[in-house]
Amino acid sequence: MRELRDLSPDASARGAAAGNGVLAPLPETYYDRPLLKKPHWEWEVITYLFLGGIMGGSGLLVAITDEKKDPELSRNLRYVTFALASTCPLILVKHLGRPERFLHMLRIFKWRSAMSMGVWGLIAFSAPVTAGAIGQAARDGLIPRWLRWLHPRPLTDPLTAVLGAFIGSYTGVLLSATALPLWGIGKRHIPMFSACSGIAGACAANSLILALTGGSEESIEKLERFETFAALAELALLRDFRRHAGSIGDPMFAGARGAKLTRHTEIGGIILPAVFSVLPIHGRWKTVVSSVLTLIGGYVLRETLIEAGKNSADDPRAASRQPE
Amino acid sequence: MASGFFTDTTLCIGCKACEVACKQWNELPADGYAFTGDSYDNTGALGGTTWRHVAFIESTPDAPGAPPTMNRWVMMSDVCKHCTNAGCMEACPTGAIIRNEFDDVFIQPDVCNGCGYCVPSCPFGVVDLIDHQVIQPRFASDGRTDDNAVQTHGGVAGKCTLCYDRQKVGLVPACAKACPTDSIQFGDVDELKDRARKRVADLQSRGVDASLYGVDEKTSVGDLNAFFLLTGPPAAYNLPERPVLPSTRQPAGYVSAALAVTGLALIGLALFRRESA
Amino acid sequence: MPGLGTSFGRGGATTFVQDLVNSDCILIEGSNFAECHPVAFRFVMEAKERGAKIIHVDPRFTRTSAVADVYAPIRSGSDIVFLGALINWLLENERYFREYVVAFTNASYIVREDFQDTEDLDGMFSGFIDPDDTTADGQDRSKYASFGNDAAKPVPGNYDTSSWQFETDEVPRYDGNGTVKVPKRDDTLQHPRCVINVMRRHFARYTAEMVEEACGTPRETFLEIANLLADNSGRERTTAFAYAVGWTQHTVGVQYIRTASILQLLLGNIGRPGGGIMALRGHANIQGATDIPTLYDSMPGYLPMPSALRNEQTLADYLKSVTKPTGWWANTPKYVVSLLKAYYGDHATKDNDFAFDYLPQISGDHSTLPTQIAMKDGEIKAYFVIGMNPAASGFNAELARAAMDKLEWMVNIDAYETESASFWRREGVDPTTIGTEVFFLPSSTILEKEGTMVNTNRLLQWHDKAVHAPGDTRSDLYLFHQLGLRLKALYADSTDPKDRPIQAMTWDYPHEDPHEHDLGEPSARKVLMEVNGYRVEPGKPGYDCPQVTAFTELADDGSTAAGGWIYSGVYPDKQTNRARNRTGDEWTSLDWGFAWPANRRMLYNRASADPDGKPWSDRKTYMQWDEQQKKWTGPDIPDFPATKSPHEPAKPGASGVDAHSGANPFIMQLDGMGALFVNGALKDGPLPAHYEPMESVVGNPLYGQQSNPTLREWDRDDNPYNGRENPDYPYVLTTYRLTEQSGIMTRYVPWLAELQPSLFAEIDPDLAVEKSIRNGDWVTIATALGQIEARALVSGRMKPLRIGKGKDRRLIHQIGVPYNYGSLGYATGDSIGTLIPLALDPNVSIHEAKTLSCTIRVGRRTSGPNARVDEPVPANQVSDWGASRPHGRDEAPV
Repeated sequence: MRELRDLSPDASARGAAAGNGVLAPLPETYYDRPLLKKPHWEWEVITYLFLGGIMGGSGLLVAITDEKKDPELSRNLRYVTFALASTCPLILVKHLGRPERFLHMLRIFKWRSAMSMGVWGLIAFSAPVTAGAIGQAARDGLIPRWLRWLHPRPLTDPLTAVLGAFIGSYTGVLLSATALPLWGIGKRHIPMFSACSGIAGACAANSLILALTGGSEESIEKLERFETFAALAELALLRDFRRHAGSIGDPMFAGARGAKLTRHTEIGGIILPAVFSVLPIHGRWKTVVSSVLTLIGGYVLRETLIEAGKNSADDPRAASRQPE
Repeated sequence: MASGFFTDTTLCIGCKACEVACKQWNELPADGYAFTGDSYDNTGALGGTTWRHVAFIESTPDAPGAPPTMNRWVMMSDVCKHCTNAGCMEACPTGAIIRNEFDDVFIQPDVCNGCGYCVPSCPFGVVDLIDHQVIQPRFASDGRTDDNAVQTHGGVAGKCTLCYDRQKVGLVPACAKACPTDSIQFGDVDELKDRARKRVADLQSRGVDASLYGVDEKTSVGDLNAFFLLTGPPAAYNLPERPVLPSTRQPAGYVSAALAVTGLALIGLALFRRESA
Repeated sequence: MPGLGTSFGRGGATTFVQDLVNSDCILIEGSNFAECHPVAFRFVMEAKERGAKIIHVDPRFTRTSAVADVYAPIRSGSDIVFLGALINWLLENERYFREYVVAFTNASYIVREDFQDTEDLDGMFSGFIDPDDTTADGQDRSKYASFGNDAAKPVPGNYDTSSWQFETDEVPRYDGNGTVKVPKRDDTLQHPRCVINVMRRHFARYTAEMVEEACGTPRETFLEIANLLADNSGRERTTAFAYAVGWTQHTVGVQYIRTASILQLLLGNIGRPGGGIMALRGHANIQGATDIPTLYDSMPGYLPMPSALRNEQTLADYLKSVTKPTGWWANTPKYVVSLLKAYYGDHATKDNDFAFDYLPQISGDHSTLPTQIAMKDGEIKAYFVIGMNPAASGFNAELARAAMDKLEWMVNIDAYETESASFWRREGVDPTTIGTEVFFLPSSTILEKEGTMVNTNRLLQWHDKAVHAPGDTRSDLYLFHQLGLRLKALYADSTDPKDRPIQAMTWDYPHEDPHEHDLGEPSARKVLMEVNGYRVEPGKPGYDCPQVTAFTELADDGSTAAGGWIYSGVYPDKQTNRARNRTGDEWTSLDWGFAWPANRRMLYNRASADPDGKPWSDRKTYMQWDEQQKKWTGPDIPDFPATKSPHEPAKPGASGVDAHSGANPFIMQLDGMGALFVNGALKDGPLPAHYEPMESVVGNPLYGQQSNPTLREWDRDDNPYNGRENPDYPYVLTTYRLTEQSGIMTRYVPWLAELQPSLFAEIDPDLAVEKSIRNGDWVTIATALGQIEARALVSGRMKPLRIGKGKDRRLIHQIGVPYNYGSLGYATGDSIGTLIPLALDPNVSIHEAKTLSCTIRVGRRTSGPNARVDEPVPANQVSDWGASRPHGRDEAPV
């Protein structure tokens, strides 16, 4: 054994006696504590995502529908978008930590902040949508007819559609522009299936209204067919997201929450309404049931997305190497 | 001149003077009195009302009775990184989060409206909202109430200000001032980086596995104005191995969304506008 | 304190913390330096950056161990084995600094032939008087608990130290008038009975193997440390030691310090830059609290309290009893008389012995723990509890609380309503059953009052009043001053002689500031001026008299007054308060504050130069003799007569330091030498021997004598001991403090309370598995005295140690519990003091809190901490004024 007397004062004592200079390795995580912070987003945000998707999808539909072919639908769309554009901001203001300061959102316009863009997008959207509601109400005789001149449709309808498309999909971008691994890895998927879900939801909501108010069956049928396209696209995107996310997707696709998503959104909200739409059943109640299933599916999707995202913040291993 | 911190964890003795000095200077409340059992760390993490957090990492593999050669107890004072490309600042929709004249990332507490978007946008999990409930009158015995604290803190986002108010009058940040072993060093970021690089070289020559975290980085976050000297992998300290600036994901998102919407819109137009059979 | 005092001359740290940056090696033991002195620890970190090796020896791997270069685990309570083995290794391998040792220590002194060592008497020294021998001279002395030099003759349970003396030679006096006895020496160190050879024999069984067997420290680690210490001592390099209560709070605590003192003398590190023994004192002013003391047996400046047990009834007798003929303490009469003049002003005159008989005389051990027991037995009527919290941080805390129940009245002076102030409504007690009248006087915190603090560097620093305290809160100075004023008024017309001290005491300190004066606050400046001392001008108050500039100006004829001679020089003239100075530099900072004595920062600094007055090396230069200017020069004030040449011969028979040569650095000692062998001033031996704590889990591996025979204990039902090697209590329990907490003060600060919110117990993983304890579980720790509950903190930093040899070799688990908790505040927990029975060191009455035994189980405690302690004890267990009794001889186990 090496004589310890030979140690010079400068020899590092640590490890020298045992003949190695290696220190103990450190643990892989910090007590398994979350590395990231989860957002304080509860039912207000989930509801906004859900209603905002319908709002955006409805805005898109405003331009897609031909007023002459589907006048009732066209009319409903204008009121629906206006109603949603009036209430959604209130939900958002309520969930602020300092609601009395909501106007501070207008201090800047920052295109690199999805939330800033969303705020301005909502404000921008409310302009043509309000004009649309005014014009519609004027044409419906609810308010003085001359006010219809405030609604130049060739100008406002495309704006409504483009801004509506933005509203329906920007929230997906907003989510993935955070550090949370589940949302980050879905930077392409989430905006896409959010948009699809918003459009499907808009179709479902509007066909529900038509069904309950005795509207045109032809309009309902068109909505249902469009809804099927959007919903199937949504399903395909969800399934591809599941594959792409791998284990990072577990908070969303595995366990009880994943089972709920499959049950309420994939099966209940997409497959069943699609099946209904091809079955030779007729009647308003089919539309009502089918639409409600779609809407539930849309809500559950948003809820799952938010809750699963918050969960993914808890996993320090997933949060350590963040997706590009 | 960009100011920042060089936190050298090889000098940290885990005294937590930094945590206390920070709370005292910024009049932040205690966060509760729960025992965690995580070594000597009952604070847990940075948060809306904890702007310095000392982490304790134990690694003690020696068998009973064996010469104690490998035992380690690593301590590190964590803080907001004041990133060159700050995720929180990118996210902030009110412009409350700014880069001040000292090049530090600062939340203006009178502008922030508590939207909370910065909270999940920080790749390091630093910033959080301050709950109204947490701000309690603390100095009631002398009649002074805590309206000021509610005004400045309640409902808004909170994180290290790099003692902006102290820097403005030429003082050193409270944590750096309190640190007894100069583990927390404050100054011009470029000078601190030079000092840190030399320190790393010196430690490595002595057989210590030292590395810098937040200097000469090639991530989208960039270098950190508040950077660290570590002696182990970042994940052990609850720091991300590869942080990503979240806002860089947006172009891909908008493009994808646009494609999806356009595709569906075209289908929709066909469905709604084709001549009926 | 006496560990350092008997070895070097003064009971205080020999150096200052800033000097640690010059150390080549720092041994930290009996201290968790980084934890408990984090600000001073910056100098250790700086030393480390300059290449110093930091060694930490501790039962636990602490925050200090985390940054040390070498960590050595040790069984709590076995440090004398460890340090003694280092001594043995140095002697065996001839690695001690021989020149220093021969020139500056009593290594060469020859011990009397009738001295018998622990080697001869299986753990005892010669001269022990059995405790049962109470009537050796016809007196029943069993009731006396003697401490310090308060016994006229040695009493049972202590040693007769006559066999510990040195052989003497008779040499001619310096002035030719006859002869005088001096110790016989052999400077070749060959004589079998010279101190160093007595030590060789004494420490021969303290080997590296014994360290492994008794301390659990691996042999290689021990040898590594021995080599580091030896390699970093000598002419070119120095090593410093740092310790705190991990060494002192044992029944052999003073001997721990002695072992370290011997080591540092052998290594030649005392009085040298980067060397010395840094006794780290706790709290901000504990040093000040022993300088201007709150100790029962000491007057300001470490003058002994007059004792009724000695022949000290008149001033002349007292001075004869306590004054040393040689060494600086020969000046004692000047300090005593000046103190009396400070106390009694013009009432103290030569004719009335300077009012010496106004001073109370002690008649036994009146220290706090026996007094607490006397309180519980109903012998004490009233209690002033000032800035202290025995009900939570005391030892046998429940007994402290039960004692308070028995008082007639109690005064609490504190900034917080502590557990002691609210003892009458504690858990499990019905306030209507308690007759004590409790007064609470809120007192100012440091920012709300002016005055000085004296830290571990012996440094006085003045602090101003920064804010007014709220409401009726007042400074302690005000409260006591007011008490004195009112007592003076009450007794003004009395003719009873016993009231004269109150009538006579000088009590006049009018504040300079009109607002403070109106508040009734006395002037702390004037108090400090009086402490410094002044030249008496009869009829004038002290603050109008000229200040003295140094204690060398004090006289024994009544022409000077000084309230604390060691501080003389702090206020050399009316305009200069040196405690306010704040000019620092990179090293000694002589213009920052004022250190006692005489602003010397490093004590015994004459030893930094060789006998010829030249530095031992260029690298380690501190003080040196300047032949041109004929004085000692260097970065510090010389701790030596400034103009005394190194070649000045000793003057046998002269008084004071004149008896010493110019090469005797330890001026307070009788012979000016560092004492390896202490021939009488310590009760438990001239050399340290390893004794097990009262509650040890193992038998003493070195001797048949298990524990310190002179330690003080009680036989009472309310103070039960676990006893030695009790299988019901198989684990070692050690206590300590946390950086984040102090006591009630910090538990009420939210930012500190949240950092360590709960009492916890540190347990090693093997014990946790054995007892089914998971991290975070509630556990109950029990001893014969009581039980406490804590949260389990399972950590590999606690490792069980292999103790014993052969078939007795086994794993010993150690459990650590911090001290800082009580029932009040934001962070609460049981008081560990509840588990600590009273057992005291014999020299200073310090309690044994660092090594106990216990058992542990998972789950919360099932009842109050200890019900039995509240009950009165049977009459045969009651002693006079709570007096303790000596431990005596241990029988070898069957």
